[in-house]
Amino acid sequence: MISFTLNRSTVDVDIEADTPLLWVLRDTLKQYGTKYGCGQALCGACTVHVDGAPVRSCVLPVEAVAGREVTTIEGLADGGPHPLQTAWIAADVPQCGYCQSGQIMSAAALLATNPDPSDAQIDAAMRGNVCRCGTYDRIRLAIKDAAARGRSEQET
Amino acid sequence: MSGLSRRGFLQSGGAVALTVAIPGPWRTAMAASSEAGNAYLRIDADSRVTAILPTSEMGQGTHTGQLMIIGEEVGIAPSAITVEMPLRPTDPYRLFFGQMRSVGSYGIRAWYEPLRKAAAQARSVLLAAASKRWNAPVAELDTADGRVLHERSGRRAAFGEFVTAAAREPLPDDPPLRPESRKSITGRAMRRVDTPAKVDGSAVYGTDVDLPGMLHGAVRMSPVYGADVAAVDAGSIADYPGVEGVVPVPNGVVVVADSWWRAKRAAAALDIRFTETPDDTLSSAKLSAAMREGLEGNLPPVVQNRDVAPRLRSAEQTVEATYEVPFLAHVCMEPIVCTAHTRDDHVELWMPTQGHDIIRMTVERVLGFGNEQMTLHTTYLGGGFGRKTHGELAEQAMLASKAVGRPVKVMWAREDDLQQGYYRPIMMAGLSAGLSEDGRIAAMHARLSGPQMGRTFEHVTVEDNRDFFSVASLIDQPYTEHFALDHRHLDVPMPLSPWRAVSSSQNGYFLEAFLDELATAAGEDPVAFRRAHYAEHPRHRAVLDRVADMAGWDTPAPDGLHRGVAVVASYGSVVGQVVTLRMDGERPVVAKVYVAIDCGRAINPDSVEAQMKGSVIEGLGAALRHEVPIADGRAQRSNFHDYTPLRIDEVPDIEVAIVNTGAPLGGVGEPGIPPVAPALVNAMFSATGKRVRRLPVLPTAA
Repeated sequence: MISFTLNRSTVDVDIEADTPLLWVLRDTLKQYGTKYGCGQALCGACTVHVDGAPVRSCVLPVEAVAGREVTTIEGLADGGPHPLQTAWIAADVPQCGYCQSGQIMSAAALLATNPDPSDAQIDAAMRGNVCRCGTYDRIRLAIKDAAARGRSEQET
Repeated sequence: MSGLSRRGFLQSGGAVALTVAIPGPWRTAMAASSEAGNAYLRIDADSRVTAILPTSEMGQGTHTGQLMIIGEEVGIAPSAITVEMPLRPTDPYRLFFGQMRSVGSYGIRAWYEPLRKAAAQARSVLLAAASKRWNAPVAELDTADGRVLHERSGRRAAFGEFVTAAAREPLPDDPPLRPESRKSITGRAMRRVDTPAKVDGSAVYGTDVDLPGMLHGAVRMSPVYGADVAAVDAGSIADYPGVEGVVPVPNGVVVVADSWWRAKRAAAALDIRFTETPDDTLSSAKLSAAMREGLEGNLPPVVQNRDVAPRLRSAEQTVEATYEVPFLAHVCMEPIVCTAHTRDDHVELWMPTQGHDIIRMTVERVLGFGNEQMTLHTTYLGGGFGRKTHGELAEQAMLASKAVGRPVKVMWAREDDLQQGYYRPIMMAGLSAGLSEDGRIAAMHARLSGPQMGRTFEHVTVEDNRDFFSVASLIDQPYTEHFALDHRHLDVPMPLSPWRAVSSSQNGYFLEAFLDELATAAGEDPVAFRRAHYAEHPRHRAVLDRVADMAGWDTPAPDGLHRGVAVVASYGSVVGQVVTLRMDGERPVVAKVYVAIDCGRAINPDSVEAQMKGSVIEGLGAALRHEVPIADGRAQRSNFHDYTPLRIDEVPDIEVAIVNTGAPLGGVGEPGIPPVAPALVNAMFSATGKRVRRLPVLPTAA
């Protein structure tokens, strides 16, 4: 039995310890917001937070999160939409939308450590997340918008 | 919130409702019939408006656009309309070739009038009912935000108040349409209705279908196309946990287990051998050689024109060039997936499909079931690009479910997606043209050598050697009436598929890269040379002038920067692009891309912009570095490390302008693709003096 915290609740799963976290989230815990895209940490669609850091859940054995805190797109909003979700809607970022959970989770991890990222810092944080529809300019816009919202909230 | 949310799968009931059939675009005045029951707009007594939409949402924004059209006429915010899709192909929703499909960039251009008519009919009978109740002339009534309004008396009431009475009013054949001056929804940028569900993880894609008792399937397919299973030992994975079965399917097996990961791991470990085939030694080099050989001698004609040969012979100068394009994969972010529950006399499918009638045909072929024995739930598609038109996953899922007696969700791994075919076809084009003394094109002869994709589809017949899937944007080229086209077909074993913009994706490259060669031969600027040939093509001229103006074509490019231009008509729209780049050694670094599109009146300009930018990014990725080479009969690509879409730090700035010449509505999802590659290679020529006659531009591993 492996125990970890998922979106602020404790979960226990009885499964092979080397099962990638992605498939525990999806097939065992029925949390379908986190997506499969490549299975090799090449596209970022499966990005979740482990203790606040972005990880590719498709290559992370579930045993590695025992006792740790996992946050997925379903748990990103905490009492209200995350500023990035608000910004994503304002910029109307998604097309097919399949990669966007991972995009938002990568961006959220970036803003948590760097509230005012430059273009180069956004590139570095986001280049692991592939979008086949080509929504990149709106992703960049939304990250900057959310960062600005976050800063103005801190000032008030 | 509208959109295909989880509860969207629930069929809504409701005793009294106003239901208006949505007519087929290729059948006027569709009579009320049982079929119309699956194609309609409904307003319930609780005022809820529901639209059964004809097109799948795969990222192109079609649902938002269609709801804008409906919302405008009915008088309700698009986001307040509930979206459903028919549970099986329905006659009014079939395109002109008799199939319900989400293809051909038809989502808006084909459905504008039918949706508008149905919505206007609904509005008309609501107003008629309100007129009687309020004793007010119809001319004084209007609708907005889901209410009927009578401005003079200040009365207003929700649609639901009138539904019962409105349902008894006769539907006018020719309902009054909202005049241009009163339009407040279409033609303005609108945020998409599906965005909220796509930023909180709640949108349901094909991969996210979850049913009670559902099992998961992963495949083990023959690495060589067309090979079959020679021997399989299911006992070899007997120790693997959760495995429920090994189900034979064409060219391989589906391993069924209680999670996809367990199914996948067992499939990888399965002891399986495949038959030998004549294609075990097939390679890209052999395919190229076959296409090159196919260009020799007289090719079977598609468009014959007796003028062409003599005009080529008597031309002041002739130019010839041969171009080649590779297999391309779609790599939709959401892999290919289908969930099926096969019962004795009925099958239920949950699928991110673009090909509703293809699924119906697959059900009939595999299970012998008719349309009424199938229930097909359309989920969101995590990308489509033409790839999700086919039935192979439905077949695998139906067979797997039948074998284990439970619902099964079969999903291909990314490696399967890249290696199991359904590629944009390879093609070679030999182009020749003559220039007259005044530097104008006197005649052009295009010869295609490569697969006629239409021949590989069971529902398509290629007549007169004219393959609908091979000739677009070439057969209708705007440059000369003295034009001939040939095509020699080449059989290839791998399945082929429409890719975004289908044959226009390669023909736009062939034609517009060649046009640049002709401009050079004529000693003329590429923009001026094209413009001189567009006298009879005002839309081409309008987008060319606009994009040239945006790019500052008439002023010298800044130091180190080079420009290339291309204009291609496809799917009823005309798109011009200018690529600006600098060279880093042999590598082009694209600095900026300018796009001008004439798609008629843009219903949602924000979606048009998004589609143009997405097309440029997809087209650039493909032109720069995408191909699926073949060696030993097998695909030599497996995942995003060797077939990498452009990443965020690789995309150029892209500027989009919408040009409205008053033309009829055109498509938007695909027409942005064809000009990208030629504008890129034309800019590279400007930089290097070297023509790029084979894609991709960058060398890739064999």
